[in-house]
This record gives sequence, C-alpha cells and structure tokens, in this order.
Amino acid sequence: MNLSAVRQLFTLALLFAIGASISETAHADEAGTRALLVEIVHADGDDARQQLAMEGLAEEGDPIIGTFYEAYRSGNIFIKKVASSDSPLVLMKDNKDYTNLLTGESVTPSDELKPSRAGRGLRKDLKRLVDLLDLSSPDLEKRIAAADLLGKSQNPEYLPELKARLDKQTDEKVARAFREAIYICELKSGSDTEKLAAVKALGEMKSLPAKGFLETVAKEYETSTEPGARALRESTRKAIREIDDYQKIVGHIGTLFRGLSLGSVLLLVAYGLAITFGQMGVINMAHGEFIAIGGYTVYLIQNYFVNTFGVGSSAYEWYFVLSLPCAFLAAALAGALLEKGMIRFLYSRPLESLLATWGVSMILQQLFRLQFGAANVSVSAPQWLSGSYSFGGVSMSYSRIFLVAFAFLVIIVTWLLMNRTSWGLHVRATMQNRQMASSLGVPSGRVNMLTFAYGSGLAGLAGAFISQIGNVGPSMGQTYIVDSFMVVVVGGVGNLFGAALSSLGIGMVDQWLQPILGPVMGKISVLITIILFLQFKPGGLFPSRSRSLDD
Amino acid sequence: MNRLLPVDNKAEGAVFIGLLILIAALPILNAFVPEGNALHVSSFQLSVWGKYLCYAVLAMSLNVLWGYTGLLCLGQCLFFALGGYAFGMYLMLMIGELGAYKSTLPDFMVFLGYTELPAHWKPFYNPFFAVAAALLVPGLVAFIFGVLAFRSRIKGVYFSILTQALTYAAALLFFRNDFTFGGNNGFTDFKFIFGADIRSDGTARGLFIASGALLIGVYWLVAWLLQTKFGKIQKAIRDSENRVRFSGYSTTHFKVFIFVLSAMIAGMAGALFVPQAGIINPGEMWPTKGLDIVVWVAVGGRGTKIGPIIGAVLVNMLKSWSTKAYPDTWLIILGFLFVFVVLFMPNGIVGLWAQGKAFLARRKSKTSPADTGSTDDTEAPGEIEKATS
Amino acid sequence: MNYHSDIKAKLKGSLTGLLALASLAVSTVQAEETVKVGVLHSLSGTMAISETSLRDVLLFTFDEINAAGGVMGKMIEPVVVDGASDWPLFAEKAEQLVAQDKTVVTFGCWTSVSRKSVLPVYEKYKNLLFYPVQYEGEEMSPNIFYTAEAVNQQAIPAVDYLLEEGYKKFYLIGTDYVYPQTTNLVLFEYLQSKGIPVESIGGGLRKDDDGNVISAGNYTPFGHSDFQQIVAEIKTFAASGDACVINTINGDANVPFFKEFAASGMTSDDCPVVSFSISEDEFRSLPAEDLIGHLGCWTYFMSIDSPENKKFIADFQAWLAATDVTGVVKEDRVTCSPMVLSYNGVYLWKAAVEKAGTFDPEAVMAALKEGVSFDGPAGTVTSQENHHLTKNVYIGETLETGQFSILESFENVEGEPFLKGTFK
Repeated sequence: MNLSAVRQLFTLALLFAIGASISETAHADEAGTRALLVEIVHADGDDARQQLAMEGLAEEGDPIIGTFYEAYRSGNIFIKKVASSDSPLVLMKDNKDYTNLLTGESVTPSDELKPSRAGRGLRKDLKRLVDLLDLSSPDLEKRIAAADLLGKSQNPEYLPELKARLDKQTDEKVARAFREAIYICELKSGSDTEKLAAVKALGEMKSLPAKGFLETVAKEYETSTEPGARALRESTRKAIREIDDYQKIVGHIGTLFRGLSLGSVLLLVAYGLAITFGQMGVINMAHGEFIAIGGYTVYLIQNYFVNTFGVGSSAYEWYFVLSLPCAFLAAALAGALLEKGMIRFLYSRPLESLLATWGVSMILQQLFRLQFGAANVSVSAPQWLSGSYSFGGVSMSYSRIFLVAFAFLVIIVTWLLMNRTSWGLHVRATMQNRQMASSLGVPSGRVNMLTFAYGSGLAGLAGAFISQIGNVGPSMGQTYIVDSFMVVVVGGVGNLFGAALSSLGIGMVDQWLQPILGPVMGKISVLITIILFLQFKPGGLFPSRSRSLDD
Repeated sequence: MNRLLPVDNKAEGAVFIGLLILIAALPILNAFVPEGNALHVSSFQLSVWGKYLCYAVLAMSLNVLWGYTGLLCLGQCLFFALGGYAFGMYLMLMIGELGAYKSTLPDFMVFLGYTELPAHWKPFYNPFFAVAAALLVPGLVAFIFGVLAFRSRIKGVYFSILTQALTYAAALLFFRNDFTFGGNNGFTDFKFIFGADIRSDGTARGLFIASGALLIGVYWLVAWLLQTKFGKIQKAIRDSENRVRFSGYSTTHFKVFIFVLSAMIAGMAGALFVPQAGIINPGEMWPTKGLDIVVWVAVGGRGTKIGPIIGAVLVNMLKSWSTKAYPDTWLIILGFLFVFVVLFMPNGIVGLWAQGKAFLARRKSKTSPADTGSTDDTEAPGEIEKATS
Repeated sequence: MNYHSDIKAKLKGSLTGLLALASLAVSTVQAEETVKVGVLHSLSGTMAISETSLRDVLLFTFDEINAAGGVMGKMIEPVVVDGASDWPLFAEKAEQLVAQDKTVVTFGCWTSVSRKSVLPVYEKYKNLLFYPVQYEGEEMSPNIFYTAEAVNQQAIPAVDYLLEEGYKKFYLIGTDYVYPQTTNLVLFEYLQSKGIPVESIGGGLRKDDDGNVISAGNYTPFGHSDFQQIVAEIKTFAASGDACVINTINGDANVPFFKEFAASGMTSDDCPVVSFSISEDEFRSLPAEDLIGHLGCWTYFMSIDSPENKKFIADFQAWLAATDVTGVVKEDRVTCSPMVLSYNGVYLWKAAVEKAGTFDPEAVMAALKEGVSFDGPAGTVTSQENHHLTKNVYIGETLETGQFSILESFENVEGEPFLKGTFK
C-alpha cells in the first residue's frame, strides 16, 4: 500500500534526525513544540506536511509531546473553527477542561468541536518519539518501559542512545532494562562476536522478551557453515533453554498467585453462602442475585460520582471505597427482607427453600433487566486499582492484590464475629438446635434474620469486587452459583474455615489444570474431581459433628 | 385402588380419561378432518402437543424420584438430553448424503476433518440400537453416579447440588466441538426416521401417538410400582430413611434402582422429543433446564400421579402464551407463581382440592385446628417432613 | 399490529348486526391489502440483549416501507414472535409463523444454533428466511438468504489489515462453540498461506490422529469469568513484540477478558485485539477505557460518513421517539452491523418481490439469486447466486465514545460461505 511505503521512508528519515539531535535535547522549547504539534493536527491527511512537522518535533524534547500523544490516542484532541481566521484552533481535553494546544491557555469550548484522530502509523511514530524522550524521564518506570520498547524494535539507530545513557543509570532495575535493550538490538545488527556476547548475556539475564529474538537467531544460523556459526548456534540454544527453565518457574509462581486470586474470588462469593447454607441450612438460589445487587450498587455510586465530581477528579477516586459498605448494606437489607418475607416459613423444609428462592432469583433477574436494561452495565476501576505490579516476570494486578487482602479480612472479621461476640454465640446456638436455643432465651427470630442479612451482605461485597474484574449484569450471579455451592459442600457444610480452605484449593487446582488441559476441560475436571472427592469424604473437608442421624 | 383405571379418586380419573381422549382424538382430527374446518388440528399443533407429552413424561420421571422417594435431582435434564442425543445420532446418520457436503458423515464431522465415522457412532445406524442406547446410556450414567453417591450416603440437598454440578459438567463437555457430538449446534436438520420422511404429516401423527403411548405406559408403570411393596418402601425412604434402614432394608439398592429407572424414563422422553422438536443441543442440559422440570412437578403437585402431567403441560402452555403476550415480564410471572406455589400450595394444583376442603373443615370446627385434613387421598409430603424434623 | 383480535373484540362488543357486518367488510379489505411478514427474535432470555434491537429496526423498516406505499401496493403486516433464547422453541415459533400465520417471509435468528433449528421448517414449507448476523458459513440452505457477514467478509480482511500493519504473531482466542472454532480453522489455513509459521500462531494447536496440526486457538467455556491464565499467556506470547490477538469471545465474557488485559499493562499499541463479536450495540456494556485503540471489523459502522447513513440513523431515532410498541428502549440507542443487515434484508426482499412480481417465496428466492441491489447505509449491497451478499467491509478502531473510527475499507467483497481448504 502506498501509504505505508511513505510512512516507512518517513520513519527512516525521522530516525536519522533523532539520532543526530536527541543527545542535546536540553533546549526544550515548549512554544516551538506546541506549534509543531498543532501543525501535525492541521496536516491530518497530508503525509508530507506531517513528516516535516515530525522532523521538527524530533529536535524538540518537551514533555508536552507525551501528554499530546496520550490525548491524541484516546481521542481528546479537537478542532474548533474560528470565524476570523483560516486556521482553526486545536484544543486538548483533559478530564473536563479544554486547553488551547498552541498557547496552553484554558478555553471554554463552544459546541462547534470536531474531534481529530491520529492514524495508527502516525501514532506509532509519535510513540517512538515519546519513548526516546522517556529514556531520560525522571520517572524510572517510564524509563524502563521506553528502553524495553526501543530494544524490541531492534533498530541500530537507538544503540548509541542507549549505550550513552547506560552508565548514567544508578538504579539497578533501569540499568538492567537498558542492557537488555542493547543486547536485543545487537542480536540483529551486531557483529558475530557481539552477537555471541549478547546471546550469553541474555541467557544469564533470563530475559523473557529476548526469547523470540533468540529463536530468530537460532533459525538464522541453523544451517549456516560459517566459522563462528556453530558456537553461536549452541550458545543460543543454551540461552533459550535457560530462559525456558526460568519461564517455567515464573509460570509456577504466577499460577500460584492466580490460584490465590481465583480462590479469593470464590471465597468471597461462597462465604456468604457458607453462612446462609452452612450455618442456617437455607439453600439460597438467589445468592447470585445478591451478588448482582452488590455489583449494581457500585454502578449506581460510580454514576453518582461521575455526575457530581467528574471522571478523573480526586473525589472520583474514592467512589469504590464508599461503595464497599453500601454494597454490603444494600444486599444485607435485601437479605433481611427475604428472610422476613419468605425464608422464615421454610426453615423446616430445606428443599423447598431451594425452590422458592429459585423463583425469587428469576424475579430479581428480570427486575434488574427492566431497571438497568438487559445488557451489562460498565463499571470502571479507579486509578489506584488499575495497572499491575510486576515482580520478576510475574505480574499481579492491583485490583486482584486488593481482592486477596480483602478476602483475608473477611475471614478474620467473620471469625471474630462468630467467636468473640454474643451474637456469634447466639448464631452457633441457633444453628445447633433452633428450638433449644430459643427456649433458652436466644431471640432466634432476630438471630436468623441478622445471620441471613450478614451472609447476603457478604454476597453484595463479592459483587462489588467482581465489578472490578468482571461483568455487572442481570445474570452475573448465575456464573458463580454452581461454583459457590461446590465450595461450601467441599469445605464441609457449617464449617467456615473449611469453606475458606476449599475455595483456595479449588482456585489453585483450577489454575494449575488450565494450562495443561485448557479452560474447558480444566473446569470439567475440577467438577468431576469434586464429585469424586465427595464420594470419599461425603461430609467435605471438615464434616460437622452431630449426634443427630438426619443431619 | 381401581383395578382398571390406575387412579385413586374421581378427580384424578376424570383428568386421566380426558388425557386418554386427547391422545386419541388429536391424531384423528389431524388425519380425517379437512383443513379449514374448525375442528382440524394442524400437524404443527400436533407436534407442539407431542412435545408437551414428552415434557409430561420427563416430569413424571422426576416425580418418581422426588415425589415418591424424596431425592430432588436437579440434573434430570441430563438424562433427557442423553436419550435425545442417543436417538439423535441415529437421525443424524439417516440424513445420509443429503447434508451440505454430500457426505455420508454428518456435516460437522466433515468440517472438523474426520474421514471416517468414529467407532462409537457406527452402531447407531440401527434404530433399535439407538432406542436401546436412549434407555441404557442415561441408565448407566445414573447407575454409576447413583452407586457412588448413595453408597457414601449423600442425600438431601447435597444430592441436589451434586446432580446440578454433574449436568453442568456434562453440558460443558457437550459444548466442545471435539467431543464428536456437534458442539453448540448439536444435531439438527433430520430427514428420515424408520425410513419415513420426518417432515410428513404421517410421521408427526406417529410420533404423537408414540409419545402418548409412552405417557400412558409410564403412568401405568408408576401406578403399579406404587402399590407394590417396593412402592411402599420407596415412600418410607422419603419419609424417614433411617427407620427403613434400621428395619433391615438396604436403602442404597432401592435408591439406585429408582434413580436408574427414573433416568431411563427421562431418556425415553428425550428420544421421542428430539424428532418432534427437530433439534438437540447442549443447552438442553444446562442447569436451569433441570430447575424448570422441578418447577413443573411442584406446580402440578409432587407425589401425585397426575400432578406432574398437569404441571408440565400447564407451565409450558403458560410459557408459550406469556412469552408472546408479556415478553418483558413473563419471568416475573413465572417466579411469583413459583414462590406462591411453594409457600401456599405445597401440594400443587392437584392438592388444591384437598387444601380447600381442609380449609373449609377448619372454618367449620374451629375447636380442632390440629386436624388439617390429611386423611384425604392425595399425598402430603411437605406435612410429613415437617412432622419428622 | 394485531388487527384481527381488534376486529374480534369489536364483533363481541357490537350489538347491532350492521356494525358487525361493517367491520367484517373492513377486515376482508385489510386482508387483501396486507402481506404478512414474520419477525423471529429472542425478546427474552439470554439473547434478548442483542436480538431486541433487530426487532426494533425491522419494525422501523416496515413502517418506512409502508409509509412509502408498501410492497407492490400491499402494506406489510408484521407478526412478531419471541424465540425466548430457547432453541426448540425457535423451531416451534418458526412453524407457527409459516404454517399458522401464513407469513411469506421471515426475518430473524441471531445464533447459529437457532438458525440450524429453524432451517428444516423453512425447507419443509419451502418458505424464506433472511439471516442477518455474522456467522461461520459452511451452510447454504435453498430457503435461507444470508445477509450476514461470512468469514471472508470479516476475519480475512481483518487479518489482511494486520499483516499489512506489520504484525507477525497471532494469538487466537474464542468461546468454545462453532463460530470461533470455524473462524479460527479458516484463519489458521489462511495465515499459513500468507507465510506465518505455526510457531507464530498462539493459543494452542489442535492435531488430528496422525499428529498433523489442523487448527489452533484457545477456547473458554460460555460466560467464562477468569482470564488470568490466558492473559498471562498472551503477555508472554507478545513479549517480543509484533503480536496481536484475534478475539472471537462471545458476549459477556469479553468484559473480564478486556479488564484483565488492561490490568496486565498491555495496551492496544503493544498488542491490539481485533474482535468480531463486538459491535456498537455490545460496546455499550463494555469498559470503554479498556478498549481504546482495539480493532473491530464489520460491514457497517455507525460512524460511516455518508448521507444514506445519516438519514438512516436520523429516521430510526425519530421512529424510536415516536413509536408506541411495548418494550422498545428509547434512550441511548445506537445502530450496528446486524441491524443494518436486517434493514438491507427487508429492502432486498422488497426489490426481489417487485422483480419477481409475486410474493411466492420460491420465486422471490429465484429473483434474489439473479441479483438485486440496494443502496443501504453502508453502501451498495448486491445479492449473489450463493445466497450471500456482496458488500463493503470496514476496519475500525474503538474510541472512548463507543464508536469506531474507520481505518480502512474494502469495497464490494463477495460473501463466500465455504472457505475451509481454499487457502492451501
């Protein structure tokens, strides 16, 4: 295609320009940069003009380029026609505020705004420019990411830049990223001795990104009979082996964390059920819909914050913290109503509580559909929960780390409630013998209601967390209902510690089987394993002890 | 009990005779009354009723298990679907070279790159093998699961949850394309059955009559079983399993037997359902389908012979009507109906008569509120459970 | 819509024979001047999310045609039934339409399994069905007309585009059912024919009994909610750069997938995801900020800048505002490819009826096979001999607003249902 040919030529030219200029980019001239950026937007559709502007841009080095790139990428650059002048204004939108890109002054936009979008090719070039700038960014994370990307491009033009900066890096992690980038570059363009050294070094560094490039080298020298080829071939293979071994270890650690995090999700969704089903003997098929109540509560609060404070405002960041107690309370309230209105008539008929709550589940699902629409609603994560923490090749997203921590908190709080409060004593007494407890003065009616409300509230909390990692929709609860029952049954009905253990166990087994058998067979195997497990331990991990035969 | 008619009281008899008339009359009205006449029954209506009859048999199979033995199986849809798949395999092979690829293999196999029929498909060229498989495969699955579950004394709610997990796992398995059963699309576009064109009116009548015969047959079987000693033990297990065991009976054997029998009945219903519905896919074994069947039985009246039939037909008619009349709210209607039935009509529609009588009796003699009138002819499992727990 | 029950009610209510006679006369006149057309979509159950929009657009199209004088002087009288996301029920409702209501054509179905379940009905009664949603192909019933995108009108152009952009590694992921499996099977052959080695196709390989690789892809159960493992795999796969993801995940499960993808730190600039099941309508329930810059490929986008499209959107919005059909959502509505393909289908049917000079389904199908054209919102579409459509294909990039910005278009791509084995 013609366009891409032009683009390639242009990129090449640009790279020479950068190579010549970037080392002395100290003279950051913001006004000049801004003018060039405006020119790029104006030149939309005219490749030659844009190329000229980009060349100019390469000689500037202002951080505004980074901000501009982000805005251009996400569609926050607008063009505003001005009656008095030929060239329209270019506006940049940040959250709700608009600034004039040329001057940096803030403006109030009229309604005549036309969005401007960057083509993919232009964006790629801009990104490369931003990366080069980021090589000397004060933000170490940015520096690492930039080095990583420039290395992967295997473009020899960047080598001097990277090498020149390597010595200045005091941080070990950053220095490593620079070295890695340099070696990956040399894999393609270096001499045979340089390649050999790079291969060895990358093997020792156990560089995961390098693996693909090493494989290319291995293929390249596979049949070559040149003198150094054999040594290079062998050390490449060795390096790949080393990286593979390391990758396996990383994989196992990753699986461990993923198992822990899936286990925590299961724990949150099943813990409420462990209380209503395990402690009270009520089979609540509407448990999944209480999860949905939690999810929708988060959605409503998010909307409230968006409308009142705006996305990206500092107050908005707190919406999720506020929604946790709200989700708990909303679901707990619904649970209390259900208990008062229906469940309490069914304590002696557990199978029928299953049927009636199935009816409730149908009603609630349809009510969600009527109220919020049949489609899922979209909930976005606050800034502090997005992104991930990387540790030696294993990446853990912040939302999941938070979730794991919260799951442990739930276990501890529930344990304290059950074992250190008089309410907990009452719950346990009522669970053991409802009639006896109430004849000894335990207000069993109220205890039942509160216990059910607490269990439902936990489901609401689970829904709040699921909103961060999954769907919020009318049937979101259905996804988890079979799994939650499995957790409770495997753990041993009535045993909260068992439920915690079994959810972690099921999470681990699931994540461990998935890479081997694939997601579908993995899930089937987990279900079959559970069914077989219960043949040998029908009471679950921790069967409840009772003298009654019919328990 | 009436020897000729397997019914316990007049109301039941009336419904049963009505059913017999319906089964006999619809095919006649379809075949002999010309189109355009008000009494004419179109083949379309006939096949709709044929499907209702299959659902009714399915509901009866669950009732044998739940209503009379107290085992609530949430995976009854699995046995229904397995029967359907078994017979569907025969129907798929009968398409022959009329498929999109003009191959003797079913289309989905050609597409997935099979060059010859997998070994487990070959016997299904024989329709009688397929019918036998529709009986035996569900029976075998029920046998294995039943032995495992009942031997380790899994019962009550645990049994329900595990059967749900079982059908869920099976559905996921059947959704896989590699499982050689057509994945999500399942089996469709059947052409011939026992050599006859499956789309002809005659076939529709034949299938309807077969479904009706199956219904009557299963009804007689259940009625006969109930009045034997076996049936009494069955009910005793429902009401108090431990007492039965202490009396020297091996309840495990009884339960396995009844579970297998119930699965086989469900399998037969599935086998007759598939040619009439024209499709079988893994959606039929999704856990919600299993709960649907429970709804039919509960609404009609569990533990009664006629209740499941009434429930299956009425709920499906209601669904058919309300999906058209109230597409937005029919789930709510169904949900409320269900909650209402559980809370206020523990014996379903069939139990209403007795409930009404008992209510009137209580109004008359307020002095003896303890007597709830359970002396009448219908069973009242809910009451019994309440008394024993 | 239901004139007859109206008339019946009038009959019952009226005491004078005169009135009864008069209304009878009205009903006969109406019966002569209308033609019954079936609408068969799920208005309840899991598929209602997507299919209700198609019901709406069909009713809008009928009103638009009726306002312009109908089809050959007859007004379209829609008969709407609900398939309730239940496949045996779909077959039952289809037969009800064809056998009881005597409709001459049906517009309907979304999932492949629903189409497969009604197919025998249309073949039995030699009636006609228009099917509007992208599908896996490998089917050509004499009684179905597929306005839908075939695999070569979606997946193949998308891959062409990605290859052109310089992507060298392809990770295939989808839900475990027929459409993703089929698409990936075809893509697997196609990628290899374009010189992409097997090692650069990610997601796991499927081998036949002799150990030959026949397909690829990673498949998840319906409604899968945990994509940690898969995203970790994609991240490793994409570590060396130049990788992209071909996504055929269905419906709901896209949300956890994209959330996990974004949380892992990958962006559309590192590793773009091209999706075939996410249109503007589905987009409304997805986390927009996690999807920016990812790609979509359809034969229509709402953002197409043409007078036909602007008129279509404006008219549809006006109809939504004015309509009193129950269950029509009026706020925040968008248009998307399946909707436009339904719309095109009705106009093609109208053109074919006028060409054939009769409503007889078989004559109409014959006219369609000869080729009729319609200038729709996404450009001209022409019916083909093989029951598919020639139409334009667009590649778009998702914006924060839930719209697609069009990057490239391919003109007049012919639909071809049988693709397996053609790229050797």
